[in-house]
Amino acid sequence: MNKRQVVLESISALLIMLFLYASVSKFLDFQRFIGEMNNQPFPNSWTPFLVWTVPSLEIAISLALIFERTRMVGLIASLVLMTLFTIYTAVILLHFFDYVPCSCGGVIRKLSWPQHLVFNLFFVALSVLGIILQRKSSFKSIIITKNSFV
Amino acid sequence: MKKIKWTLMTLAVGLSIGGAFATRLHQDCLGATQYYFNGGYVLAGRMGIDYICNTPSSNICTYYKVGSTYTPCCWGNYCTSNCKAGNPVPKKAKN
Repeated sequence: MNKRQVVLESISALLIMLFLYASVSKFLDFQRFIGEMNNQPFPNSWTPFLVWTVPSLEIAISLALIFERTRMVGLIASLVLMTLFTIYTAVILLHFFDYVPCSCGGVIRKLSWPQHLVFNLFFVALSVLGIILQRKSSFKSIIITKNSFV
Repeated sequence: MKKIKWTLMTLAVGLSIGGAFATRLHQDCLGATQYYFNGGYVLAGRMGIDYICNTPSSNICTYYKVGSTYTPCCWGNYCTSNCKAGNPVPKKAKN
């Protein structure tokens, strides 16, 4: 396992920890999660859709990141989701909505909105780095495969 | 090589699921009945429907009961349909 692979595996492990922790926490306290979603500035009619979609998507991304074959898809999905979260956090901080919802209890939830923004940006950067490294290692393996056929 | 990879992945999955269970014990305040302080402790209702917690604010928005003690749960300004002008109203009150 070369250095690049170790970094790539570590990035995947960190992203898996983030998404799996977040999704399992949501399902464990589902009623509270519904309450938190209702407290967000978007319409309450979105809540039934979002409370299932967001944690399910997080679990799906975690699974995709575990396996080599689906890792690229997982990294891209992780980048998209974290970018969306980051944009949402930025929009909240810029006071685009009527109000800034509270963050209640928990570990990640204990972060203030500016801390959330930094936290999200860190994972966006990790996803970007992961995509770059994955592309490089995929490219390398294609060359090795081609050479073995020659 | 594969052994290192799978050790790392197993650790990540185990730590995240274990961590979620471990921290759950300390963060289920929103699952409890919420109260707000208005001279005395009053039932707050459903978050996002009957009230919202408007931040940034260092005020305590809602409390929950631990034994006979009211413990802070959410920070922000407790806001219902009687919010000040310019302030938001809970979504139920808009309809």
